[in-house]
Amino acid sequence: MTVEGVKVIVHPAHNQLISVVTVIKGGVQNYPAEKQGIEALAIRALTECGTVNDDKNSFKDKLDKVSGQVYGTSSMDFATFRLNCVLTDFDIVWPLYSDALTSPKFDEKEFLRIRQDAVNMIRDTESDPQNAIDKYAKKVAFRGKNYAKDPDGTEAIVSKLTVAETKNYYKSVLNKGKLLIVVVGDIDRNLLQENIAAMLKKIPAGPAFKNKKEAYAPAKASFSSTKKDLATNYIQGITGAPLPGSADYNAYQLAMSIFSNKHFLEVRSKNGLSYAPGAWFSGGSTSTTNVIVSTTDPDKYKKVLDTLVTKLKKDGFTAEEVKNEKAGYDTSVFYRQETNDAQANSLVSNEVQFGNWKRSITIKDEINKVTLDQVNAVFKKYMGNITWVYMGNPAKVNPALYAPTAKPLPKSTVTPAKKN
Amino acid sequence: MHNKRSIMYKLIYSIFLVATVSGFSQPRLPENYFWQKLDNGLEVVVIENNKVPLATIEIAVKNGAYTEGPEYSGLSHLFEHMFFKANNDYPDQEKFIRRTEELGMIWNGTTGEERVNYYFTFNNDSLEAGLKFMNAAMRFPIYRKEDMEKENPVVDGEFQRAESNPQFLLYFDVQKKTWGDLFTRKNPIGDHDIINTATPEKMMIIKDKYYYPNNSILVICGDVKHEAAFQLANKIFGSWKHSGFDPHQKYPIPEFKPLTKSDYFVKVSSIAATPYMMYQWEGPDYRNDSASTIAADVFSTLVGLNSSKWQQALIDKGLATYAIFQYQTLKYVGPVYAFIAPNPDKIKECHEEILKQVAEFSQPGYFTPQQIDDAKGILLRNQIRNTEKPSTLPMQMTYHWASTSLNYFTDLTKNYQNVTEADIRRYIDKYLNNKPFVAGIIINEEMNKKYNPEAYFKQK
Repeated sequence: MTVEGVKVIVHPAHNQLISVVTVIKGGVQNYPAEKQGIEALAIRALTECGTVNDDKNSFKDKLDKVSGQVYGTSSMDFATFRLNCVLTDFDIVWPLYSDALTSPKFDEKEFLRIRQDAVNMIRDTESDPQNAIDKYAKKVAFRGKNYAKDPDGTEAIVSKLTVAETKNYYKSVLNKGKLLIVVVGDIDRNLLQENIAAMLKKIPAGPAFKNKKEAYAPAKASFSSTKKDLATNYIQGITGAPLPGSADYNAYQLAMSIFSNKHFLEVRSKNGLSYAPGAWFSGGSTSTTNVIVSTTDPDKYKKVLDTLVTKLKKDGFTAEEVKNEKAGYDTSVFYRQETNDAQANSLVSNEVQFGNWKRSITIKDEINKVTLDQVNAVFKKYMGNITWVYMGNPAKVNPALYAPTAKPLPKSTVTPAKKN
Repeated sequence: MHNKRSIMYKLIYSIFLVATVSGFSQPRLPENYFWQKLDNGLEVVVIENNKVPLATIEIAVKNGAYTEGPEYSGLSHLFEHMFFKANNDYPDQEKFIRRTEELGMIWNGTTGEERVNYYFTFNNDSLEAGLKFMNAAMRFPIYRKEDMEKENPVVDGEFQRAESNPQFLLYFDVQKKTWGDLFTRKNPIGDHDIINTATPEKMMIIKDKYYYPNNSILVICGDVKHEAAFQLANKIFGSWKHSGFDPHQKYPIPEFKPLTKSDYFVKVSSIAATPYMMYQWEGPDYRNDSASTIAADVFSTLVGLNSSKWQQALIDKGLATYAIFQYQTLKYVGPVYAFIAPNPDKIKECHEEILKQVAEFSQPGYFTPQQIDDAKGILLRNQIRNTEKPSTLPMQMTYHWASTSLNYFTDLTKNYQNVTEADIRRYIDKYLNNKPFVAGIIINEEMNKKYNPEAYFKQK
């Protein structure tokens, strides 16, 4: 339905819970690189810096009494502001949610507190190598592009953001042109519509958001590294993938799911090279193909990967593998339908990326139409030059294996990492 | 406007009044949970939940770190990995994985202190095939030297990944100091050397000690019918031989020794981009003080309230970004711990405030009757959230099957509602108030020089 000019998607839950997600479209397209982190801080401020009716403590205490969850996220393509509560508590939680979204106070004392927390959490993320290498990979691969921006920001930038500019930023993106609302819950439709309409009346109109899609296709392989004294080494590779709406999209989803299993089998089962070898397709305004491992023998991993990719490009996948993967896809679709939040996320991403929330429901049929030839063709098409990043002991890696033009790392600066 | 009392009543009513008890020796179970014990001692629980047309099956075994002396440290976990490797029906992992793909299966396993579990989710029309697949992996595993040579570094790689995270490094050292000589009994991830030198013979020793129907539970959950599911379970697992002994009587778990004095340490690590602090006490366990395990959960929930003195002193005042306070329910001494991400500029103030808060836990007025009610309200609603995702229902139940009991699991939310202020005070006095603890901080070189925690992070 459309309420006050904003698309509202309502889906039944068949349980006692309700999830509401308000989406602010744009993500990293909404702010310049020198202000990265501002959206995440603004969204955090909605629940941490008071509202027109409640100071921070009053707001949080009211939520605690009914175990209501109100929080936001900021990602590459959109920000979300979320509500999750027991349906019978909805009339207590909704006013808090609506106030936080439409009438946040941005109290300066609280803002300075959460700004310091945001800096601490940036360091916290940096301490986790799995997160750290993913951020590093994006920074290297998308240098100068929107996707090089980190929604969490950097310590240098976030520590200097002021309450005034953060508040102004939020005001600039909170308009009906950027909004989408998704509700998963068994709530009376009229009651929901009234509540949403009252909330949206407080939000100004704005031009319809136009998403800017940017394909990623590195012209050649590259290798970048950073030394870290870890117990193992992390290596991640990124290359291009079909954009949402492309005819190749569904076939590539299947191709990467099969590839992920084969990658696991070759890297972990047959060669014992990594506990958690990962390979996945990430669809978005810039779509990517990703591989990641933590390993004490990165060069051997690279050889195993090359052999696998070369074989698959030459021989292709089999009809049986495609058939089996379709069965697995069915399971994953139902698995996602187990929780309201997961269903809401699926509706959001399909509406934002494809302009078609119904794809969340029809995807099984669409995947079933994909042919073996299509799967093989898209794998050859997109599994191309890889942008590699490495974190760990430089003595363990030969850059030339990853990018023929890469220079050897200076051995004189190498300190052996423990337990490699 | 809602009346809070009436909402709570409705919630309690919807959760508890429909519990079923269908036989003399039947454990108490929630609605739509059905229990049988096969002749070989295998407990089978069927959970009927038709939210989506999937089935999740799980086998849990009373095995894990608590069964491991130093020479077996980490091998319950390696055993769990080998489960997915090869068996009589699927003699190598390629064939094993191909079968999971044919069944469209999502699969995994975990190893903890007191439970190892294996679980598969797939379309409900593959239930019989899924159970046969589980049966082959559980009862007829193949351990080859060459397979283990490949899997040992994989399991060690899981350990190395953990060691690349400063939070784990701090956690690990706190565990060593808390559990002393029996540390391996609380350390599922194990020991590098033991993992890397593990042999098929050691796998068989674990199998022969613990992998029996009378030490296991099978759970079948999802869009299934209990009568048919019990028939399948009996047909497929009924021939699994009883051990003839109780593994936990034959191989008893030694008692953990109480801490005799508090112990502080500072760990300097280049990978700690921001510092973390952890404090740990030895808490109650199910065998000796199940009432306090329940009071402990209510107290932890209360401490997590925004209005609590703990949150107000540490988070509201900007001393820490987060300050988790938790208790872990176990059969053999559950830990009570605080895990803190302090504001680096305020480490000293944060540490002093934590000690002050702990010292005040037992003071009158540290928490209010209203806060106890609010904590109970949260725990009541948690039960609704916990039951939202059908594929997680088996693992929630089997955790308690291993560490407490099915009755404890079923009654838990109701029992939270019965906790009194006196129960909480008794728990605090017995396990926290003036009791010894282990405290650690992990910090990088630069911050260590700047903030010098050695000067104040020590016994006074």
